[in-house]
Amino acid sequence: MPVIVIASPKGGAGKSTTAVILGTELAQAGAQVTMMDCDPNQSLSLWSQRSALPDRMRLVSDLTEASIIKSIKECDEDGALVVVDLEGVASRLVSRAISQADLVIIPMRPTTLDANIGVRALALIAEEEEALSREIPHCVVFTMTSAIQPRSQAAIEESLIGQGVDVVKPYLMQRAAYAALFEFGGNLRTIPAQGNMQSAQENAQGFAQAVFARLTRKSGEQGA
Amino acid sequence: MSDGKAFSVDIGSLKKRPKGEGSQQTAAVDKAAEKLGFVEREPKRKGGRAPSPRTGQVHAKVYPHVQEQIAAEARLKGTQQGVVIEEAWALYCEKHGIERQE
Repeated sequence: MPVIVIASPKGGAGKSTTAVILGTELAQAGAQVTMMDCDPNQSLSLWSQRSALPDRMRLVSDLTEASIIKSIKECDEDGALVVVDLEGVASRLVSRAISQADLVIIPMRPTTLDANIGVRALALIAEEEEALSREIPHCVVFTMTSAIQPRSQAAIEESLIGQGVDVVKPYLMQRAAYAALFEFGGNLRTIPAQGNMQSAQENAQGFAQAVFARLTRKSGEQGA
Repeated sequence: MSDGKAFSVDIGSLKKRPKGEGSQQTAAVDKAAEKLGFVEREPKRKGGRAPSPRTGQVHAKVYPHVQEQIAAEARLKGTQQGVVIEEAWALYCEKHGIERQE
């Protein structure tokens, strides 16, 4: 079953938020989801301690450079999706996790700084594809975006697409409900109402569907 | 808020794919990553001997020949002098019926 790795060497890009939104939405949609917390800040562990884990979800934590590949392989089994949340640094843990990915998602705030640092993850994936002689599907998702799209965001997106980078739509918007996931635990359907919940749910669902479509597409291509 | 399924997924359509394994593959990944600055960042274990649990200290002045004998016995056994004193203390406790803490 697919291993989805959330990676960016930049801290604060929205990796853990992306991981929780994706994991909870896919579990809500019927998938068995294993969340792997590889972040020393243990954001996913903190989220999991706030309330009972949603149905069909489990969490694996305390992963190290030495154990990451073995742990992913153990969870990479029929009947479960694996979502790996990585630390926001350029480390061997990150590169080893990416080597096991079926899809790498690179969250990026729509700023030049995030884009410049996020591009390092794209370069790493290219190096690993060459070293492993296999394609590692990957995409970028803009996080914490606002309804009014600044020019800089359009320019960054245009630049990425121009370089052949897959950019996921919808973007993950700036939503109070997303931040609240780490305050209350659970998913967007169990937390107390925060701002426009319907909008947050639709955004999260649209994002999860877009990611799932990529998994299906890539799976079909490779299986053909 | 809605409690129903937002959308449903058929994970049966997604199959586990071989991604290779083994130390050679890991080494290749590490080498490729190192070129881009993705290096080992976990703290290394401190080298050297683990600290001794014997943190207590006695303040004993003895005759020089006793000191020499204790030192010689410890050298012979390959231990610290404290271990010889602990053994002596065990015998003392046994002789005098003192309950010894382990």
